[in-house]
Amino acid sequence: MMNPAVQVRGLKKSYGNSIVLNGLDLEIEKGEIFALLGVNGAGKTTALECIEGLRKYDNGTIAVNGKMGIQLQSSSLPAHIKPMEAVRLFSKWNKTKIDFTMLNALGIQETTKKQYIQLSTGQKRRLHLALALIGNPDIVFLDEPTAGLDALGRVSLHEQIRKLKSRGKTIVLASHDMAEVENLCDRIAILSNGNIAFCGTAAELTDKIGEKYFIHVKTRQGNNTFETDNIEDTLISLLHDLRQKEIHILDIKVDRGTLEQHFIEMARRETE
Amino acid sequence: MNGFLYGVALQWKLDLRSKSLLITCYIVPLIFFLLMGGIFTSVMPEMGSTLIQSMIVMCVSMGAFIGLPPSLTETYGSDIKKVYKANGVPICLGLVTMFLSAFVHLMIACAVIVLLAPILFEASLPTQLPLFFPALAIYMIVSLSIGSVLGLTVKNQAKLTMAAQLIFLPSIMLSGIMFPVEFLPDFLETIGLIFPASWGYRLMLDNGFCFENLWYLIFIFFAAVIVCGIVLKKQKAK
Repeated sequence: MMNPAVQVRGLKKSYGNSIVLNGLDLEIEKGEIFALLGVNGAGKTTALECIEGLRKYDNGTIAVNGKMGIQLQSSSLPAHIKPMEAVRLFSKWNKTKIDFTMLNALGIQETTKKQYIQLSTGQKRRLHLALALIGNPDIVFLDEPTAGLDALGRVSLHEQIRKLKSRGKTIVLASHDMAEVENLCDRIAILSNGNIAFCGTAAELTDKIGEKYFIHVKTRQGNNTFETDNIEDTLISLLHDLRQKEIHILDIKVDRGTLEQHFIEMARRETE
Repeated sequence: MNGFLYGVALQWKLDLRSKSLLITCYIVPLIFFLLMGGIFTSVMPEMGSTLIQSMIVMCVSMGAFIGLPPSLTETYGSDIKKVYKANGVPICLGLVTMFLSAFVHLMIACAVIVLLAPILFEASLPTQLPLFFPALAIYMIVSLSIGSVLGLTVKNQAKLTMAAQLIFLPSIMLSGIMFPVEFLPDFLETIGLIFPASWGYRLMLDNGFCFENLWYLIFIFFAAVIVCGIVLKKQKAK
Protein backbone atom coordinates (compact mmCIF):
# COMPACT_ATOMS: atom_id res chain seq x y z
CA MET A 1 0.00 0.00 0.00
CA MET A 2 1.25 3.49 -0.87
CA ASN A 3 2.34 5.73 2.00
CA PRO A 4 0.04 8.72 2.45
CA ALA A 5 1.56 12.13 1.74
CA VAL A 6 0.53 13.37 5.17
CA GLN A 7 -0.50 11.34 8.19
CA VAL A 8 -1.63 13.05 11.38
CA ARG A 9 -2.50 11.12 14.53
CA GLY A 10 -3.95 12.52 17.77
CA LEU A 11 -2.77 16.08 17.13
CA LYS A 12 -3.42 18.35 20.12
CA LYS A 13 -2.80 22.06 20.39
CA SER A 14 -4.03 24.57 22.97
CA TYR A 15 -3.50 28.29 23.40
CA GLY A 16 -3.75 28.81 27.15
CA ASN A 17 -7.05 27.28 28.22
CA SER A 18 -8.48 27.26 24.74
CA ILE A 19 -8.24 23.87 23.01
CA VAL A 20 -7.89 24.41 19.26
CA LEU A 21 -7.00 20.88 18.10
CA ASN A 22 -8.26 18.01 20.20
CA GLY A 23 -6.72 14.77 18.96
CA LEU A 24 -6.97 15.45 15.23
CA ASP A 25 -6.56 12.44 12.91
CA LEU A 26 -6.01 13.04 9.22
CA GLU A 27 -4.61 11.25 6.19
CA ILE A 28 -3.90 12.93 2.86
CA GLU A 29 -3.16 10.73 -0.14
CA LYS A 30 -0.38 11.40 -2.62
CA GLY A 31 -1.41 13.35 -5.71
CA GLU A 32 -4.75 14.60 -4.45
CA ILE A 33 -6.06 18.11 -3.88
CA PHE A 34 -7.24 18.15 -0.30
CA ALA A 35 -9.11 20.99 1.42
CA LEU A 36 -9.40 21.83 5.09
CA LEU A 37 -12.66 23.63 5.82
CA GLY A 38 -14.04 25.10 8.99
CA VAL A 39 -15.66 28.19 10.43
CA ASN A 40 -13.39 31.01 11.67
CA GLY A 41 -11.40 29.80 14.66
CA ALA A 42 -11.99 26.11 13.86
CA GLY A 43 -8.22 25.57 13.79
CA LYS A 44 -7.55 25.26 10.03
CA THR A 45 -4.49 27.51 10.02
CA THR A 46 -3.20 26.03 13.29
CA ALA A 47 -3.54 22.51 11.88
CA LEU A 48 -1.82 23.52 8.63
CA GLU A 49 1.00 25.32 10.45
CA CYS A 50 1.59 22.32 12.74
CA ILE A 51 1.81 20.03 9.71
CA GLU A 52 4.10 22.50 7.92
CA GLY A 53 6.39 22.61 10.96
CA LEU A 54 5.80 26.33 11.50
CA ARG A 55 4.05 25.84 14.84
CA LYS A 56 4.85 23.61 17.82
CA TYR A 57 2.06 21.27 18.94
CA ASP A 58 1.35 19.79 22.36
CA ASN A 59 0.80 16.15 21.48
CA GLY A 60 0.36 13.70 18.60
CA THR A 61 2.39 12.63 15.60
CA ILE A 62 2.75 14.12 12.14
CA ALA A 63 4.41 12.28 9.26
CA VAL A 64 5.00 14.12 5.98
CA ASN A 65 6.32 11.96 3.15
CA GLY A 66 7.95 14.32 0.71
CA LYS A 67 9.40 17.78 0.36
CA MET A 68 7.07 20.58 1.42
CA GLY A 69 6.40 23.88 -0.31
CA ILE A 70 4.51 26.44 1.75
CA GLN A 71 2.56 29.36 0.34
CA LEU A 72 2.68 31.96 3.07
CA GLN A 73 0.23 34.78 3.67
CA SER A 74 0.57 38.13 1.91
CA SER A 75 2.32 39.80 4.83
CA SER A 76 5.33 37.53 4.78
CA LEU A 77 7.78 39.40 2.55
CA PRO A 78 9.63 42.70 3.13
CA ALA A 79 7.74 45.63 1.58
CA HIS A 80 10.57 46.72 -0.72
CA ILE A 81 11.77 43.40 -2.11
CA LYS A 82 11.30 42.84 -5.87
CA PRO A 83 9.71 39.55 -7.04
CA MET A 84 12.82 38.24 -8.80
CA GLU A 85 15.00 39.11 -5.79
CA ALA A 86 12.69 37.02 -3.58
CA VAL A 87 12.79 34.20 -6.15
CA ARG A 88 16.63 34.27 -6.26
CA LEU A 89 16.88 34.36 -2.45
CA PHE A 90 14.50 31.40 -2.03
CA SER A 91 16.24 29.40 -4.76
CA LYS A 92 19.61 29.95 -3.05
CA TRP A 93 18.17 28.90 0.32
CA ASN A 94 16.66 25.79 -1.28
CA LYS A 95 19.78 25.17 -3.40
CA THR A 96 17.71 24.75 -6.56
CA LYS A 97 17.84 26.30 -10.02
CA ILE A 98 15.20 28.84 -10.97
CA ASP A 99 12.41 27.33 -13.08
CA PHE A 100 11.72 30.17 -15.54
CA THR A 101 8.93 28.19 -17.24
CA MET A 102 7.04 28.08 -13.94
CA LEU A 103 7.72 31.78 -13.33
CA ASN A 104 6.43 32.65 -16.82
CA ALA A 105 3.30 30.55 -16.28
CA LEU A 106 2.60 32.47 -13.09
CA GLY A 107 3.40 35.82 -14.72
CA ILE A 108 6.17 36.65 -12.25
CA GLN A 109 8.53 38.03 -14.86
CA GLU A 110 5.99 40.70 -15.83
CA THR A 111 6.39 42.22 -12.37
CA THR A 112 10.19 42.36 -12.11
CA LYS A 113 10.46 46.14 -11.79
CA LYS A 114 7.84 46.48 -9.07
CA GLN A 115 8.50 46.22 -5.36
CA TYR A 116 6.37 43.83 -3.29
CA ILE A 117 4.39 46.70 -1.79
CA GLN A 118 3.41 47.85 -5.32
CA LEU A 119 2.05 44.45 -6.45
CA SER A 120 -1.67 43.80 -6.77
CA THR A 121 -3.30 41.14 -4.55
CA GLY A 122 -3.30 38.69 -7.47
CA GLN A 123 0.37 39.31 -8.25
CA LYS A 124 1.25 38.81 -4.57
CA ARG A 125 -0.67 35.51 -4.44
CA ARG A 126 1.04 34.28 -7.62
CA LEU A 127 4.44 35.30 -6.27
CA HIS A 128 3.80 33.40 -3.02
CA LEU A 129 2.75 30.35 -5.03
CA ALA A 130 5.92 30.64 -7.13
CA LEU A 131 8.04 30.89 -3.96
CA ALA A 132 6.31 27.81 -2.53
CA LEU A 133 7.19 25.89 -5.72
CA ILE A 134 10.85 26.93 -5.92
CA GLY A 135 12.22 23.90 -4.10
CA ASN A 136 10.26 21.59 -6.45
CA PRO A 137 8.16 20.25 -3.54
CA ASP A 138 6.09 17.07 -3.51
CA ILE A 139 3.43 18.56 -1.23
CA VAL A 140 2.23 22.15 -1.61
CA PHE A 141 0.39 23.87 1.24
CA LEU A 142 -1.86 26.78 0.32
CA ASP A 143 -3.61 28.91 2.95
CA GLU A 144 -6.54 30.85 1.45
CA PRO A 145 -4.85 30.86 -1.99
CA THR A 146 -7.45 33.00 -3.76
CA ALA A 147 -8.57 35.31 -0.94
CA GLY A 148 -8.97 38.84 -2.30
CA LEU A 149 -8.65 37.82 -5.96
CA ASP A 150 -11.10 38.80 -8.70
CA ALA A 151 -12.83 36.14 -10.83
CA LEU A 152 -10.09 36.12 -13.50
CA GLY A 153 -7.37 35.86 -10.90
CA ARG A 154 -9.16 32.96 -9.24
CA VAL A 155 -9.60 31.06 -12.51
CA SER A 156 -5.95 31.59 -13.42
CA LEU A 157 -4.75 30.35 -10.02
CA HIS A 158 -7.10 27.34 -10.16
CA GLU A 159 -5.54 26.42 -13.51
CA GLN A 160 -2.07 26.54 -11.96
CA ILE A 161 -3.21 24.36 -9.05
CA ARG A 162 -4.71 21.78 -11.44
CA LYS A 163 -1.45 21.77 -13.43
CA LEU A 164 0.42 21.01 -10.22
CA LYS A 165 -1.88 18.07 -9.56
CA SER A 166 -1.34 16.80 -13.11
CA ARG A 167 2.41 16.82 -12.38
CA GLY A 168 1.80 14.50 -9.44
CA LYS A 169 2.00 17.07 -6.64
CA THR A 170 -0.16 16.79 -3.55
CA ILE A 171 -2.00 20.01 -2.77
CA VAL A 172 -3.33 20.80 0.68
CA LEU A 173 -5.35 23.96 1.01
CA ALA A 174 -7.36 25.81 3.61
CA SER A 175 -10.14 27.93 2.17
CA HIS A 176 -13.37 29.74 2.93
CA ASP A 177 -14.43 29.69 -0.72
CA MET A 178 -16.82 26.72 -1.00
CA ALA A 179 -17.24 27.02 -4.76
CA GLU A 180 -13.47 26.88 -5.13
CA VAL A 181 -13.24 23.80 -2.94
CA GLU A 182 -16.11 22.08 -4.75
CA ASN A 183 -14.56 22.71 -8.17
CA LEU A 184 -10.97 22.02 -7.27
CA CYS A 185 -10.65 19.45 -4.54
CA ASP A 186 -10.72 15.66 -4.60
CA ARG A 187 -11.46 15.39 -0.89
CA ILE A 188 -12.38 17.73 1.91
CA ALA A 189 -12.12 17.63 5.69
CA ILE A 190 -14.38 19.77 7.87
CA LEU A 191 -12.83 20.83 11.15
CA SER A 192 -15.11 21.40 14.09
CA ASN A 193 -14.47 21.54 17.85
CA GLY A 194 -10.83 20.69 17.32
CA ASN A 195 -11.45 17.52 15.38
CA ILE A 196 -12.54 16.25 11.97
CA ALA A 197 -16.34 16.31 11.68
CA PHE A 198 -16.26 14.97 8.12
CA CYS A 199 -13.61 13.70 5.72
CA GLY A 200 -14.39 12.53 2.20
CA THR A 201 -15.47 13.72 -1.24
CA ALA A 202 -18.03 16.48 -1.83
CA ALA A 203 -20.44 13.79 -3.15
CA GLU A 204 -20.04 11.82 0.08
CA LEU A 205 -20.82 14.94 2.07
CA THR A 206 -23.93 15.42 -0.06
CA ASP A 207 -24.99 11.84 0.68
CA LYS A 208 -24.49 12.45 4.38
CA ILE A 209 -26.06 15.89 4.68
CA GLY A 210 -28.05 16.51 1.51
CA GLU A 211 -31.35 14.90 2.56
CA LYS A 212 -33.40 17.36 0.50
CA TYR A 213 -33.58 17.94 -3.24
CA PHE A 214 -33.79 21.40 -4.76
CA ILE A 215 -35.73 21.97 -8.01
CA HIS A 216 -34.81 25.27 -9.68
CA VAL A 217 -37.38 26.31 -12.30
CA LYS A 218 -36.96 29.25 -14.68
CA THR A 219 -40.06 30.56 -16.51
CA ARG A 220 -41.09 33.84 -18.15
CA GLN A 221 -42.81 34.70 -14.88
CA GLY A 222 -39.56 34.35 -12.91
CA ASN A 223 -37.34 31.89 -11.05
CA ASN A 224 -38.53 29.53 -8.32
CA THR A 225 -36.82 26.94 -6.13
CA PHE A 226 -38.73 24.05 -4.58
CA GLU A 227 -37.38 21.98 -1.70
CA THR A 228 -38.49 18.35 -1.35
CA ASP A 229 -37.68 14.97 0.17
CA ASN A 230 -39.53 13.10 -2.58
CA ILE A 231 -38.09 14.12 -5.92
CA GLU A 232 -40.26 11.95 -8.20
CA ASP A 233 -43.69 12.94 -6.83
CA THR A 234 -42.78 16.63 -6.49
CA LEU A 235 -41.37 16.81 -10.02
CA ILE A 236 -44.41 15.11 -11.60
CA SER A 237 -46.89 17.30 -9.74
CA LEU A 238 -44.89 20.46 -10.49
CA LEU A 239 -44.76 19.73 -14.24
CA HIS A 240 -48.46 18.93 -14.18
CA ASP A 241 -49.31 22.23 -12.42
CA LEU A 242 -47.21 24.27 -14.81
CA ARG A 243 -48.85 22.65 -17.86
CA GLN A 244 -52.30 23.25 -16.47
CA LYS A 245 -51.49 26.92 -15.95
CA GLU A 246 -49.91 27.02 -19.44
CA ILE A 247 -46.61 28.27 -18.05
CA HIS A 248 -43.65 27.42 -20.30
CA ILE A 249 -40.46 26.20 -18.68
CA LEU A 250 -37.28 27.94 -19.90
CA ASP A 251 -34.89 25.95 -17.74
CA ILE A 252 -35.09 23.37 -14.97
CA LYS A 253 -32.36 22.01 -12.69
CA VAL A 254 -32.36 19.51 -9.85
CA ASP A 255 -29.58 19.30 -7.27
CA ARG A 256 -29.02 18.28 -3.70
CA GLY A 257 -27.68 21.61 -2.52
CA THR A 258 -24.29 23.21 -2.76
CA LEU A 259 -21.25 22.38 -0.71
CA GLU A 260 -21.80 25.68 1.05
CA GLN A 261 -25.31 24.65 2.14
CA HIS A 262 -24.01 21.30 3.36
CA PHE A 263 -21.13 22.96 5.17
CA ILE A 264 -23.51 25.37 6.93
CA GLU A 265 -25.81 22.47 7.85
CA MET A 266 -22.89 20.47 9.19
CA ALA A 267 -21.61 23.45 11.20
CA ARG A 268 -25.15 23.95 12.58
CA ARG A 269 -25.41 20.29 13.63
CA GLU A 270 -21.99 20.40 15.27
CA THR A 271 -22.88 23.45 17.36
CA GLU A 272 -26.22 21.96 18.51
CA MET B 1 27.20 30.56 2.12
CA ASN B 2 26.12 31.75 -1.30
CA GLY B 3 22.57 32.24 -0.01
CA PHE B 4 23.84 33.98 3.10
CA LEU B 5 25.99 36.47 1.14
CA TYR B 6 23.15 37.09 -1.33
CA GLY B 7 20.87 37.72 1.67
CA VAL B 8 23.28 40.29 3.14
CA ALA B 9 23.69 42.06 -0.23
CA LEU B 10 19.91 42.03 -0.76
CA GLN B 11 19.30 43.40 2.73
CA TRP B 12 21.81 46.20 2.01
CA LYS B 13 19.75 47.18 -1.05
CA LEU B 14 16.43 46.85 0.83
CA ASP B 15 17.74 49.17 3.56
CA LEU B 16 18.44 51.86 0.96
CA ARG B 17 15.01 51.34 -0.66
CA SER B 18 13.14 51.47 2.64
CA LYS B 19 14.76 54.87 3.29
CA SER B 20 14.75 54.26 7.05
CA LEU B 21 18.46 53.34 7.19
CA LEU B 22 19.26 55.72 4.33
CA ILE B 23 18.01 58.61 6.49
CA THR B 24 19.43 57.44 9.82
CA CYS B 25 22.81 56.19 8.57
CA TYR B 26 23.59 58.77 5.91
CA ILE B 27 21.37 61.80 5.45
CA VAL B 28 20.77 63.01 9.04
CA PRO B 29 24.26 62.17 10.46
CA LEU B 30 26.03 63.72 7.46
CA ILE B 31 23.92 66.88 7.56
CA PHE B 32 24.57 67.06 11.30
CA PHE B 33 28.28 66.60 10.59
CA LEU B 34 28.30 69.38 7.98
CA LEU B 35 26.45 71.83 10.27
CA MET B 36 27.99 71.00 13.63
CA GLY B 37 31.46 70.47 12.18
CA GLY B 38 31.44 74.08 11.02
CA ILE B 39 29.98 75.39 14.29
CA PHE B 40 32.21 73.33 16.61
CA THR B 41 35.47 74.17 14.88
CA SER B 42 34.70 77.88 14.59
CA VAL B 43 33.42 78.30 18.19
CA MET B 44 36.01 75.97 19.78
CA PRO B 45 38.91 75.37 17.34
CA GLU B 46 40.43 72.82 19.77
CA MET B 47 37.47 70.49 19.00
CA GLY B 48 39.10 69.86 15.64
CA SER B 49 41.20 67.19 17.34
CA THR B 50 38.11 65.17 18.38
CA LEU B 51 35.62 66.18 15.67
CA ILE B 52 35.88 62.89 13.76
CA GLN B 53 35.26 60.77 16.88
CA SER B 54 32.36 63.01 18.01
CA MET B 55 30.58 62.91 14.67
CA ILE B 56 31.10 59.15 14.41
CA VAL B 57 29.48 58.61 17.81
CA MET B 58 26.49 60.64 16.62
CA CYS B 59 26.30 58.73 13.32
CA VAL B 60 26.65 55.26 14.88
CA SER B 61 24.16 56.02 17.68
CA MET B 62 21.56 57.22 15.20
CA GLY B 63 21.99 54.31 12.79
CA ALA B 64 22.12 51.64 15.49
CA PHE B 65 19.40 52.86 17.88
CA ILE B 66 16.98 54.54 15.46
CA GLY B 67 17.74 52.98 12.05
CA LEU B 68 18.16 49.25 12.73
CA PRO B 69 15.36 48.41 15.23
CA PRO B 70 12.34 49.18 12.95
CA SER B 71 13.59 46.72 10.30
CA LEU B 72 13.93 44.03 12.97
CA THR B 73 10.48 44.78 14.39
CA GLU B 74 9.02 44.57 10.86
CA THR B 75 10.51 41.09 10.44
CA TYR B 76 10.26 39.50 13.87
CA GLY B 77 6.97 41.14 14.86
CA SER B 78 5.22 39.89 11.71
CA ASP B 79 4.77 36.82 9.51
CA ILE B 80 8.06 37.55 7.69
CA LYS B 81 9.92 35.40 10.22
CA LYS B 82 7.90 32.36 9.04
CA VAL B 83 9.77 32.61 5.74
CA TYR B 84 12.92 31.39 7.50
CA LYS B 85 11.19 28.39 9.08
CA ALA B 86 9.34 27.55 5.86
CA ASN B 87 12.63 27.42 3.95
CA GLY B 88 14.54 25.58 6.63
CA VAL B 89 16.97 28.40 7.40
CA PRO B 90 17.83 29.49 10.97
CA ILE B 91 15.48 32.10 12.43
CA CYS B 92 18.48 34.25 13.43
CA LEU B 93 19.36 34.73 9.75
CA GLY B 94 17.27 37.91 9.47
CA LEU B 95 18.97 39.43 12.50
CA VAL B 96 22.44 38.55 11.22
CA THR B 97 21.83 39.91 7.69
CA MET B 98 20.27 43.15 8.99
CA PHE B 99 23.08 43.57 11.52
CA LEU B 100 25.78 43.11 8.86
CA SER B 101 23.98 45.34 6.37
CA ALA B 102 23.67 48.14 8.96
CA PHE B 103 27.33 47.63 9.88
CA VAL B 104 28.40 48.18 6.26
CA HIS B 105 26.13 51.23 5.88
CA LEU B 106 27.52 52.79 9.06
CA MET B 107 31.11 52.00 8.09
CA ILE B 108 30.57 53.82 4.77
CA ALA B 109 29.06 56.85 6.51
CA CYS B 110 31.92 56.92 9.06
CA ALA B 111 34.50 56.64 6.25
CA VAL B 112 32.89 59.69 4.62
CA ILE B 113 33.24 61.61 7.90
CA VAL B 114 36.89 60.54 8.29
CA LEU B 115 37.67 61.61 4.72
CA LEU B 116 35.77 64.92 4.69
CA ALA B 117 36.47 66.27 8.19
CA PRO B 118 40.12 67.18 7.54
CA ILE B 119 39.26 68.72 4.15
CA LEU B 120 36.20 70.73 5.23
CA PHE B 121 37.02 71.65 8.83
CA GLU B 122 40.76 71.08 9.14
CA ALA B 123 40.00 68.40 11.71
CA SER B 124 42.91 66.18 12.75
CA LEU B 125 42.93 62.57 11.67
CA PRO B 126 43.35 60.02 14.48
CA THR B 127 47.10 59.57 14.96
CA GLN B 128 46.82 55.77 15.35
CA LEU B 129 44.64 54.83 12.36
CA PRO B 130 45.38 51.04 12.63
CA LEU B 131 43.87 51.16 16.15
CA PHE B 132 41.16 53.70 15.35
CA PHE B 133 39.32 51.47 12.88
CA PRO B 134 39.18 48.38 15.13
CA ALA B 135 37.95 50.69 17.93
CA LEU B 136 35.30 52.06 15.58
CA ALA B 137 34.28 48.54 14.52
CA ILE B 138 33.97 47.39 18.17
CA TYR B 139 31.90 50.43 19.14
CA MET B 140 29.69 49.92 16.08
CA ILE B 141 29.14 46.21 16.85
CA VAL B 142 28.20 46.98 20.47
CA SER B 143 25.79 49.77 19.45
CA LEU B 144 24.18 47.56 16.80
CA SER B 145 23.80 44.75 19.35
CA ILE B 146 21.83 47.14 21.59
CA GLY B 147 19.77 48.18 18.55
CA SER B 148 19.12 44.47 17.92
CA VAL B 149 17.82 43.99 21.46
CA LEU B 150 15.50 46.98 20.97
CA GLY B 151 14.20 45.67 17.62
CA LEU B 152 13.59 42.15 18.92
CA THR B 153 12.02 43.01 22.26
CA VAL B 154 9.83 46.06 21.50
CA LYS B 155 7.00 44.95 19.20
CA ASN B 156 5.18 48.25 18.81
CA GLN B 157 6.64 50.94 16.51
CA ALA B 158 5.46 53.83 18.73
CA LYS B 159 7.00 52.29 21.84
CA LEU B 160 10.10 51.49 19.83
CA THR B 161 10.55 55.15 18.85
CA MET B 162 10.30 56.13 22.53
CA ALA B 163 12.69 53.43 23.72
CA ALA B 164 15.19 54.31 20.98
CA GLN B 165 15.14 57.99 22.00
CA LEU B 166 15.70 57.00 25.64
CA ILE B 167 19.00 55.46 24.59
CA PHE B 168 19.92 57.80 21.74
CA LEU B 169 19.55 61.18 23.48
CA PRO B 170 21.60 60.41 26.62
CA SER B 171 24.20 58.75 24.39
CA ILE B 172 24.65 62.03 22.53
CA MET B 173 24.26 64.46 25.43
CA LEU B 174 26.22 62.62 28.13
CA SER B 175 29.05 60.93 26.25
CA GLY B 176 31.26 64.00 25.95
CA ILE B 177 30.87 64.52 22.21
CA MET B 178 28.92 67.80 22.50
CA PHE B 179 30.88 69.19 25.45
CA PRO B 180 33.49 67.73 27.82
CA VAL B 181 32.01 65.41 30.46
CA GLU B 182 33.90 67.35 33.13
CA PHE B 183 31.35 70.17 32.62
CA LEU B 184 28.49 67.85 33.59
CA PRO B 185 27.18 67.40 37.15
CA ASP B 186 28.63 64.23 38.74
CA PHE B 187 25.37 62.27 38.61
CA LEU B 188 24.92 62.97 34.89
CA GLU B 189 28.52 61.97 34.25
CA THR B 190 27.81 58.68 36.05
CA ILE B 191 24.57 58.15 34.09
CA GLY B 192 26.52 58.81 30.89
CA LEU B 193 28.76 55.86 31.69
CA ILE B 194 25.79 53.49 31.40
CA PHE B 195 25.65 54.16 27.66
CA PRO B 196 28.25 52.64 25.33
CA ALA B 197 28.72 55.96 23.52
CA SER B 198 30.91 57.30 26.38
CA TRP B 199 33.12 54.21 26.23
CA GLY B 200 33.21 54.05 22.45
CA TYR B 201 34.15 57.72 22.22
CA ARG B 202 37.06 57.26 24.64
CA LEU B 203 38.10 54.07 22.86
CA MET B 204 38.40 55.91 19.54
CA LEU B 205 40.41 58.87 20.91
CA ASP B 206 44.18 58.86 20.45
CA ASN B 207 45.79 56.44 22.94
CA GLY B 208 42.29 55.34 24.03
CA PHE B 209 42.44 51.75 22.79
CA CYS B 210 43.03 49.95 26.07
CA PHE B 211 41.22 47.40 28.25
CA GLU B 212 40.10 50.16 30.66
CA ASN B 213 37.86 51.54 27.87
CA LEU B 214 37.06 48.17 26.36
CA TRP B 215 35.74 45.91 29.12
CA TYR B 216 32.35 47.58 29.48
CA LEU B 217 31.73 47.39 25.72
CA ILE B 218 32.60 43.67 25.74
CA PHE B 219 30.25 43.15 28.70
CA ILE B 220 27.37 45.00 26.96
CA PHE B 221 27.94 43.05 23.75
CA PHE B 222 27.75 39.65 25.44
CA ALA B 223 24.73 40.70 27.48
CA ALA B 224 22.99 41.82 24.26
CA VAL B 225 23.91 38.56 22.49
CA ILE B 226 22.39 36.55 25.37
CA VAL B 227 19.17 38.61 25.31
CA CYS B 228 18.86 38.26 21.51
CA GLY B 229 19.50 34.51 21.81
CA ILE B 230 16.77 34.11 24.43
CA VAL B 231 14.24 36.17 22.43
CA LEU B 232 14.93 34.23 19.23
CA LYS B 233 14.75 30.91 21.05
CA LYS B 234 11.34 31.90 22.44
CA GLN B 235 10.15 32.89 18.96
CA LYS B 236 11.36 29.55 17.56
CA ALA B 237 9.58 27.61 20.31
CA LYS B 238 6.20 29.20 19.57
